[in-house]
Amino acid sequence: MFIEYLPGETLLHRLDVRTKMLGFFGFIIISFLFQDPKYQLLIVSLTGLLAFWIKIPLQKIRGMLIPLIPIIISIILITGFTFAPERFDHVSSQTILFYALPGEKLGATVGGFMMGSTFIFRLFGMMIASSVLILTTSMDDFTQFFQKMKMPVEVSMMLTTAIRFIPTLDKKRRQILEAQRARGTKFNEKGIIGSIRSYIPIMVPLFINSIMMANSLSMAMLNRGYGLTRTWTSMREIAFAPRDYWVMSFIVLLITLSFFVRFRLHLGVL
Amino acid sequence: METLENEKSQARAICLKNLSYRYPNAVEPSLKNINLDVEKGKFFLIMGSTGAGKTTLSLCLNGLIPQLLEGKLTGWVSVAGKDVGKTAVQSLSKVLGLVLQDPETQIIGRTVEEDTSFGPRNFLVPLEEIKQRVNQTLEKVRLQGYNDRLSEELSGGEKQRLAIAGVLVMEPEILVLDEPTSELDPVGRSEIYATLADLRRKKDLTIILVEHSSEELIYRADEVVVLNQGELVWRGVPSELFRNLPLLRQWGIKPLPVSQIGWDFYEKGWITLAEIPLDIPSAEGLIRELLPKYGRWQGHLQGQAQRQVQVPGQGFGAGQRKDGLFQQELDLSKKEIAVQIKDLNYQYNSDQTALRGINLMIEAGDFVALIGQNGAGKTTLAKHFNGLLKPTSGEVIIEGMNTLKYDTSDLSKTVGYVFQNPDHQIFSATVEKELEFGLKNAGFKGEEIKERVEQVLQYTGLERYRNVHPFSLGKGERQMIAVASILVLKPKVLIIDEPTTGSDWTGVQTMMALIRKLHTAGTTIIMISHDMDLVAQYAKRVIVLKEGGVLLDGTPKSVFSNEQILIDSAIVPPQLCRLSFQLEDILGREPFIESSEFTAMFESREQSGCL
Repeated sequence: MFIEYLPGETLLHRLDVRTKMLGFFGFIIISFLFQDPKYQLLIVSLTGLLAFWIKIPLQKIRGMLIPLIPIIISIILITGFTFAPERFDHVSSQTILFYALPGEKLGATVGGFMMGSTFIFRLFGMMIASSVLILTTSMDDFTQFFQKMKMPVEVSMMLTTAIRFIPTLDKKRRQILEAQRARGTKFNEKGIIGSIRSYIPIMVPLFINSIMMANSLSMAMLNRGYGLTRTWTSMREIAFAPRDYWVMSFIVLLITLSFFVRFRLHLGVL
Repeated sequence: METLENEKSQARAICLKNLSYRYPNAVEPSLKNINLDVEKGKFFLIMGSTGAGKTTLSLCLNGLIPQLLEGKLTGWVSVAGKDVGKTAVQSLSKVLGLVLQDPETQIIGRTVEEDTSFGPRNFLVPLEEIKQRVNQTLEKVRLQGYNDRLSEELSGGEKQRLAIAGVLVMEPEILVLDEPTSELDPVGRSEIYATLADLRRKKDLTIILVEHSSEELIYRADEVVVLNQGELVWRGVPSELFRNLPLLRQWGIKPLPVSQIGWDFYEKGWITLAEIPLDIPSAEGLIRELLPKYGRWQGHLQGQAQRQVQVPGQGFGAGQRKDGLFQQELDLSKKEIAVQIKDLNYQYNSDQTALRGINLMIEAGDFVALIGQNGAGKTTLAKHFNGLLKPTSGEVIIEGMNTLKYDTSDLSKTVGYVFQNPDHQIFSATVEKELEFGLKNAGFKGEEIKERVEQVLQYTGLERYRNVHPFSLGKGERQMIAVASILVLKPKVLIIDEPTTGSDWTGVQTMMALIRKLHTAGTTIIMISHDMDLVAQYAKRVIVLKEGGVLLDGTPKSVFSNEQILIDSAIVPPQLCRLSFQLEDILGREPFIESSEFTAMFESREQSGCL
């Protein structure tokens, strides 16, 4: 998988999964409160500090960012041209820089470009925040979380089985690919139809094999008593430590502060 | 084992009465009127060819039939006093644990501990007890201390032992294993057998084992049950069954190689049926005893050793001198070189060296067997032959083509590669279309395709399945389709990776007969196999790999005579070779690899007629 649990001993690793989830949702709320890119930049920098703290693998982040560059540019352009001046509260944002078409049509607003930047920062922030969350939280913790949230056993069961079978299916895919290459399959046929057609010999056996595996998996699960009761024994009881209460209060404080800034002081809008 | 008289009804672990079952949409029933009682604490072996109903029977025992799989079930099954028809599969799992063939799909958890605890968690066993039970069970299957290991990273044998742990942790009274070793290499297999032996010693556990191979099991099982086409045809002591060679052949069960020698003596009237040897010491004793009486062993035996195709029922007729025949073939083909490997090194991305300094030359028309432990580099080497892997350094030249300069799709016309699992390549709706695929890739058109498909269908005996969906056929046939789909390309070199895993003896014979036919027709065969009996019997040259290098290289006889080196690399020489090591003082250094070579020691003037 692209990003997976990175064992470590930082405070973020040791925090309870529920605290971290609260923090994550808090981040989303704050991020959506503000439209001004300056505020967003502040939020992103703060999340970046967290990422830096847990020694996030920079290589991977770079790998994730590079393919996004065309999207980033197009988002800024689209918002820049499509956000009409009436949508902004501040006069400075309503300023029209230039028109793309003659006859004063399709004007590029300052606010539009700023909005575009906000979107980009929000996107980055989300990426960093979710990476931090996934990198510091083990699969076990997530299933615990689902259980605590009173989700049915099936949900966490599905989740763990899916994760368990990712490497298995990937191995199958490689084996199938080799078997078909040995029969002379070419994977560089031209055009969309061509490339779809050349993947049929991979996809069909992969589906058939997955179905057969799912079949025997269901037998194996019944063999081991799955479905006898609607619940199961929890393997680990998660519990809040004092640090969790401190961190949670800090998060709540931060959210309240943000609401105050946004709605009382009317800051951070465009 | 003391069975208490007053608990006679309780003493039966399994009781089947008139059990018949037909799969939905099937014409023939898979089980016909089976009656069987299994006493508590016994070790039962269920044997029979593929399609005999062994798996179906084991699914009936824990209620998956009819609770998960529909179809028509009649008769009565009772397990540990519980009526299987009226008890849910999940509840039955507390008394009867079923381990299936493929370890991969039986592992549910990501870590060993998570997986083992799955069963008890479903029964809401308290956490403390689960932890205790998990540790106990892991110790039983020799996986103690593996708790936090990722299940994905275990070896095949370890995975299957984890699967056994997964059902044992529920503390069942009966353990049913359906071909638990069919996907494993010899090391993995012996790990499973050792685990079963441990379990028998430690606990009063009833074990039902469905299995093809027999050598290791013959003295371990209390009783054997043979199924043939859904019917229970034989029940008794294993040694009795394995002395009756005609019956074994009829039911498609592989006889022990040493018993073949004994059967020949029995036919000649020298020994009684009960004296047919089933292991090496008794065979050795028998030969030593009979040799002074009937033997003609004067050292000139080599001239009489016969080469002949081991097809059941065929007599040991006079044949050409083996070595002479071999020599001739070499002379004929000496001009051409099929595979040339120079200083081949290969490193995986993870920097792990898989092959080091390999220099090899394989002549056209040869029959080479690549053997070695799992991870020795057999498959890695074989994948270099058709360019699936490219050398990190050095070069591989196949029929004059350097694999560095050609793509696999170009090489596929010259080098055929049949993979172990046929299900990884079958994707067409009919057998015929499946065979056409390779030809279309190679750029053949219309008539040519038809003609070649026709030829290969006949050659492989798949004609009658022409318009059948490949997945509706059995594993043996699917394996044959995989081979056929490569043969249409008429490769000069054919690489076959484990062509016989999971096949029954009849399937093995059919497959090997086909490979031999191809070899005779001039195809260079490179076979990867764990089955040393097959290697000894069919290959002309054996290459032993160890830790990515060539350890031994030579004729089967010369390779198998290095017993100690082989054992160090976890290879057990064929039974008959081991027998000849025991008789070294009589036979000399060169081991025998076919039973006919032993019986040739006893050839007398009045030929004993046909077998």
